[in-house]
Amino acid sequence: MEIEPRSHQKPEPVLVEIEPGFTIPDFMLAEVQIKLAYADEHIRSASVQPELIRLQVEAEASQPELIEKVQRIVESLAKGAIRPKTQILEDYMDRPVPYKADPMPELIRLAEISQESPGVFALGPLVTRLAGYFESQFLALADSFQAAPYRFPTLIPARYLERVNYFRSFPHSLTFATHLRSDLDVIDRFSQEAACAGGELTASPDSFAAVQNLLSPAVCYHLYFALADKPLPQGQVIATAVGHCFRYEAINLTSLERLWDFTMREVIFVGSKDFVLENRETARQRMREAFERIGLAYRVENANDPFFIGEFRKQAAFQSAFQLKFEIRVSLPFNQSTLAVGSYNYHQDFFGRSLNITLPDGSPAHTGCVAFGLERIAFAFLAQFGLDPSGWPAEVRQAAA
Amino acid sequence: MNTPEDQNLTLQVQNLLAEAIQVPLELVTPDLAFGDLPQWDSLGHMEVMLRLEEQFGIAIDADRIARLISIPEICHFLEENGHGD
Repeated sequence: MEIEPRSHQKPEPVLVEIEPGFTIPDFMLAEVQIKLAYADEHIRSASVQPELIRLQVEAEASQPELIEKVQRIVESLAKGAIRPKTQILEDYMDRPVPYKADPMPELIRLAEISQESPGVFALGPLVTRLAGYFESQFLALADSFQAAPYRFPTLIPARYLERVNYFRSFPHSLTFATHLRSDLDVIDRFSQEAACAGGELTASPDSFAAVQNLLSPAVCYHLYFALADKPLPQGQVIATAVGHCFRYEAINLTSLERLWDFTMREVIFVGSKDFVLENRETARQRMREAFERIGLAYRVENANDPFFIGEFRKQAAFQSAFQLKFEIRVSLPFNQSTLAVGSYNYHQDFFGRSLNITLPDGSPAHTGCVAFGLERIAFAFLAQFGLDPSGWPAEVRQAAA
Repeated sequence: MNTPEDQNLTLQVQNLLAEAIQVPLELVTPDLAFGDLPQWDSLGHMEVMLRLEEQFGIAIDADRIARLISIPEICHFLEENGHGD
């Protein structure tokens, strides 16, 4: 079964081919393809080769405008891009796994997942228990550090994100929260006229209040803001929290691999540079043991955050050069690809400086986090072991089946 | 003791850095390092690297980006690549 990527009643798309005018480096092909989703709302799908871009585009699109926007994205990302340093910290991709099929059709057939809208899924009991198993592993990791538990809101103030430069770095993935203006006429009119057409709410834009909050894109930001503008207690903090995170990914929202609304468990370290880096490394070693117990096929390699085009080239190269981010990429046998299910991150003193979090000597604190996407790791596990718990590793079967 | 050529190269790098991170030249001391000024952050650092490549005709790989984190280290790297005399 194929998931409908956008709303219904769209006309048949037409093929548009664009030659970028230079060769897109191999290491940038995937990133260009992902970012083309944000070039124009009329793009249904994109495939990128080094010297040719193929787009499926709704016929009503203005092709000159669309082509100009595509060229702008491609040039910004790929022209003069610095080849990232490839660093693989763990490689267990050759572990034998019993399942080879795409789990999505079976998950849908068994009603183990149901799509509410693009990138928004409800999970059934099997997937929920499986996500719960992985959550227990991450909680055990947090406990091994005696991490202090926190609960954070789903909303995050716009002024918080502005203070850490989020709007400039990741504008494409923001999700805004608003409400009706506190005005009886507005509320009355909305209650009588609001309707959904083609999945879209029809209401006058001036019914809505100005945006003061967004749906949070990450868990750890809330901790940094809780620690802002004061000395760090005892000079170091280890905390853990789980929360829903929201990152809009346009037409890339096609399965459990990419969700608009997903759940993330984080273990967060704040302190000196050595404290953060040593704990990040310890966390990786402990998770290696956890993954080994269940025979997961994966590797850990350097990566970068999905910065938008204006900052991507520089920020991605910087993250690579300074080894700031490593992703746990789990093998997906059904399409010979990998899926990032978690990451080990070091932010240097970016949050310490931006938010005035200080160490006892007055210098800015360093931060880092290890983060795991619960839906993604459950999906990746199912892609390797299937939906029949009898084929699962005993530890997982006993805990989740 | 620094030679006049060393001082010339250092000054070139100071100028390049001041333009890259958009601060007055007087703030860019000869021993300035990454993070000493808020403008020499991750984006500023990559702007410095791109301008070094452009101005001195050199290629800087990812490993090197993480090591060129002060004016003395940048000058030393440039000297090794034939820009010290």
